[in-house]
Amino acid sequence: MVYFEDVDLGDEIGPLETEATDDGVVSFCTVWQSQMPNRFTDREIAEQSRLPGPIVPGIMSMGIMARLLTDWAGPGAVRDLDLVFRQPVPHHRTLTVSATVTDTRQEDGENLVECDILMTGTEGERYVGGKAIVTLPSKD
Amino acid sequence: MVMELQYDRSLYGVEHKAGPFEISRDQIKGFSKGLGETGQIHLDESAAQAEGYRDVVAPPTFCTVLVNKVKLPDINLQFGRTSMHAGQRVQYREPIVAGDSLTASSHLKDVYAKTGRSGTMVFVVWETTFRNQDGQIVADVQESFARRE
Repeated sequence: MVYFEDVDLGDEIGPLETEATDDGVVSFCTVWQSQMPNRFTDREIAEQSRLPGPIVPGIMSMGIMARLLTDWAGPGAVRDLDLVFRQPVPHHRTLTVSATVTDTRQEDGENLVECDILMTGTEGERYVGGKAIVTLPSKD
Repeated sequence: MVMELQYDRSLYGVEHKAGPFEISRDQIKGFSKGLGETGQIHLDESAAQAEGYRDVVAPPTFCTVLVNKVKLPDINLQFGRTSMHAGQRVQYREPIVAGDSLTASSHLKDVYAKTGRSGTMVFVVWETTFRNQDGQIVADVQESFARRE
């Protein structure tokens, strides 16, 4: 359990290392009711869209990044996640999600922690970046 | 130089609605499993009930899979051709639980140009508000799409 009092500016959250598999993307698209095959599941369709191969849906990357925060602060802690998709995210590559605390404050009776959050690849790719706000409990 | 963007400005203030969406256990569990969530309140109804929830709870970005159910009009932007998904923001306000019935309402939030090293891009931002069966706002989702010259 992480408490608000334990968090300082500059603290690192994570990293979370994961990868999106072909099967994982298909099951995500199933829940999303996205019509398949599509550029997320099919190499040819992806290449027609000038992508190097099938990619991970942006909202799936977003969900994976939210998991870093829920793993750290507990379910229900994420208030705001604001992301920019910088590069297509490939399947079957190590994806590293990490965050850095940039602000801590109390607002409307809530303890808020603001951080920069980033999803990177093994060759220095910066796939997705942005900001998040998480709420944490106090010790007393 | 400020560029005069050509698009259908009459869309500001117009709400485009969809739903209700009945949120099932399977949907929440499938979404959670697909992302590798380990929090048991997302995966197991008895764990969720032990925490005081009626049923399994959706992870914070769950509403993103419902946004494209809202049929949005073409804004007739006279700039560039292919549009790409540039960004997404979720503000999660109240827990979404299996058995909830959600409605979505979307509106055009902003259209703006940005010039950087790779030239000018135009961003189109839509905002969707999700409400539950009690009329509470559970989440706001913003999606932005970018077009290049």
